[in-house]
Amino acid sequence: MDKDPLILLIDDEPQILRALKTILGSAHFRVIAANTGEEGIALAATQSPDVIILDLTLPDLDGLKVCEQIREWSKTPIIVLSVRDGERDKVRALDKGADDYLTKPFNIEELLARIRVALRHSAQSLGNRETIIRAGSLTVDLARHLVMLNDEEVKLTATEFKLLAYLAANADRVLTHQSILTHVWGFEESDHVEYLRVYIGQLRRKIETDADNPRILITDSGIGYRFRTAD
Amino acid sequence: MDQRFLAFTKSIPQWLFRLLASAAIVGLVTFVLKKVESGLQIQLIALLYLLPVLGCTMFWGLTFGIIAGFLSFLAFNYFFIQPYFTLTVHQTQDLITLIVFLIVSVVVSQLVGQARAAERLAKKREWEAMRLYELNTALAGLTEVHAIMQAVCVKLIDTFHFQQVEISTTDTSAAGAIIVRFPLDGGKKEPCDLSLSMFTTRNTEGEIHLWFDQENLSLEETRLLAAFNNQAALAIERARLFQQEQLARVLEESDRVKTSLLSSVSHELRTPLAVIKAASSSLCNGTIEWDSAARLELVETIDEEADALNQLVGNLLDMSRIEAGVLHPMKQWNSISEIVKGVSQKMKSHLRRHSVTSEFSEDFPLVPTDYMMMEQVFTNLFSNSIKYAPENTPIRISATVKGDQAFITLSNQSPNVPEEHLKHIFDKFYRVTEADKITGTGLGLSICKGFIEAHDGKIWAENLPNGLAFNILLPLTLEGEGPKMPGDETDG
Repeated sequence: MDKDPLILLIDDEPQILRALKTILGSAHFRVIAANTGEEGIALAATQSPDVIILDLTLPDLDGLKVCEQIREWSKTPIIVLSVRDGERDKVRALDKGADDYLTKPFNIEELLARIRVALRHSAQSLGNRETIIRAGSLTVDLARHLVMLNDEEVKLTATEFKLLAYLAANADRVLTHQSILTHVWGFEESDHVEYLRVYIGQLRRKIETDADNPRILITDSGIGYRFRTAD
Repeated sequence: MDQRFLAFTKSIPQWLFRLLASAAIVGLVTFVLKKVESGLQIQLIALLYLLPVLGCTMFWGLTFGIIAGFLSFLAFNYFFIQPYFTLTVHQTQDLITLIVFLIVSVVVSQLVGQARAAERLAKKREWEAMRLYELNTALAGLTEVHAIMQAVCVKLIDTFHFQQVEISTTDTSAAGAIIVRFPLDGGKKEPCDLSLSMFTTRNTEGEIHLWFDQENLSLEETRLLAAFNNQAALAIERARLFQQEQLARVLEESDRVKTSLLSSVSHELRTPLAVIKAASSSLCNGTIEWDSAARLELVETIDEEADALNQLVGNLLDMSRIEAGVLHPMKQWNSISEIVKGVSQKMKSHLRRHSVTSEFSEDFPLVPTDYMMMEQVFTNLFSNSIKYAPENTPIRISATVKGDQAFITLSNQSPNVPEEHLKHIFDKFYRVTEADKITGTGLGLSICKGFIEAHDGKIWAENLPNGLAFNILLPLTLEGEGPKMPGDETDG
C-alpha cells in the first residue's frame, strides 16, 4: 500500500481536468479522469480509486444519480464539486452518500485538505476508529464521554455531548443539518434547524476560545456544520 | 325569424286572455248598470261606460282600450237605448249620444294609451340605462381580463336571470383562451340557447354563451343584451391593450437594464481580467527572472482578482434571479449574529482597514431567513461600507426586536448621501458617485433590496450625523409561528 493514492476525476470540462491533473499529480496523487457519468461509474468499478471527485453537472447523467449509483456498491469517498447557488444539490448529494463538497471556484488547498480527510476517514472505517479527537486546545474523548479544554473538563449536557461527539467523530467532514438533527434528536425532528442554531451557539460558548470567531465548530453556509481539527 | 315566430305563439294566450277580460269587464259594468238603470240618465250611463275603456287602456294598452270601447258601444246600444235588445236607434238624441261616446272612448283610450306607452318606454329606458350604468361601474377600473369576464357574468345573471352564462375569450395570447362560467354548476348541457360574439372595431374578443331560465328575451332585453355585449367587448379589449402596454413597458425597462448592465459589466469584468492577464503572462514569460517576493506578489494579485471576478459573477447571477422573479428563499431559523460574524470572518482581509463591532444580545431571537441570501446581503453591505467609509473607521451592526420584527442596523462613517439620492441607492445601477472614482456595478445594494424583499422585509438607508446607516426590518415569524425549541435539560 505504499503506492500513491488513486483519484478519479469525473468532470466534463477539459480545462478543469487539465488543471487538476497537473496539480494533483504534483501533490503525489495518481489521477484518472472521466468526461461523462457513465464513464465515471465504469472507472469507479474497474479501477477502485481511493477518492472520487465528482462534478454535479455532467453531460449525460445527473451528478446526483452518479453518486447514488456508486454508493450502491462502493464506500469510496466522494467529494462533490458544484457551483454557487447549488446548495440544494449539494445537500442532496451529501444526503445521498457523498462525503464532502466544494464550491467552484475553489481554493486548491481546500481541495487537498478535503482529499486528505476523505482518505483518513476511509482508512479509519477499515481499521480502528479514533476515540480521542483533538482540535487546538480541545480534546473530545468519545469513549470516556469526556471533553477537555486547556486540560480542564467542560461540563456539557447530554444533548450537547451527543451533538459534539457526532461532529467530532466525523472531524473535518461536513455534516448536513438533516443528518445531525436525525442523529441527535431523531428522524421526526430533522426539520428543526433552530435546535441546531441554539445548541451550536451553546457549545461554541463552552468550547471555543472566542465564540464570536469559531475555529472548531464551523458553519457551512446553507449546508451544515463541520468540526475542524486544524486551522 | 324563428325567434319571432316563437314569441308570437307564446303570446297568444295572453292576447286571448286580455280580450276575454276586456269583454268580461264590459259585461260586468253592463250588469251593474242594468241593476241601477232606473235612477240614471242615459248620458250618465254613457259616461260610466268610459270607465272600463279607461281601465282596459291603462292595463293592457291602446288595442284593448279600443276593443273595450267598441264592446261598450255595442252593450250601451243594445241594453240601454230604446228599443232595448236591438242595435237599432230611434231617437236622434240617442244616436248623437252613441256617436259621441264612440268618439270619446276612442280618443280617451288613445290618449291614455299613448301616455301610458310613453311612461312604460321611459321606465324601460331608465331600467336599461341603470343596468348599463351598473355594468359600467362594475367594469370600471378592472384591468384584468379574467376579472372583467367574471363581472360581466355576474351582471348578466343579475340583469337577465339567465340560468347559466359562459364567456370565452379568443385564443390570442400564449396563455390560451380564458373561459369563465357562472354559476359553475349550472348543469345545462350544450348547445346553449343563445350565443353572441364580442366584436370591437379591431377584432373579435370572444364569445358569450347563454342558457335561458324559461322565457325568451323581449325586444328591450335583446337590445340591452347587445349593449352589454358591446361593453364587455370594449372592456376586454381595453384590458388587453393595457396588458400589452404594461408588457411593452417591462420590455423597455429590461432593455434599459440590459444596456446599462452591459456597459457596467464589461468595464468591471475587464479590469480584473486585465490584471490577471498581465500577472499570468509575466509569470509565463521565460526571459524574465522573478525573485520570489515579486513572484508571490503576482500570484496573489491573480488570486485576489479571480475572487473579484467570482464575486461579480455571483452578483450578476443574483441579479438575474431577482429579475426573473424566481427567488424562493429557503427560510430556516437562523441566528443573524452567526451570519454577520461568519461574513466578517470571511471578509477579514477586505475588512482589515475597518473595525467591525457587532452588538447582539445573547437572547436575540432566531430569524427565519435564507442563510445564503442573508450572507450575501451582509457581504454587499460590508463591501459598500469598505468602499465608501474612510479607512480606520468603525462599522457597527446592532439588532433589536421591534414588535414582531427584527430591526437590524449597519452603520458606518461613509459621507452622507443627499436626501434625493437616498431612496434610489437601492435601484439597479444607481450610483451617486462617478463610476471612475469608486469601482462597482451598482448591483450590490439592489441585490440586498431584492433579497430582503423576498423575505417580506424592508431595507432603507438613513443619513446619520457622522455617517450612513442601512436599516433592515425582517419578520420574526415563519408561517405565523415562532421557532420550536427542544425540551430543556439541565447541565449534567
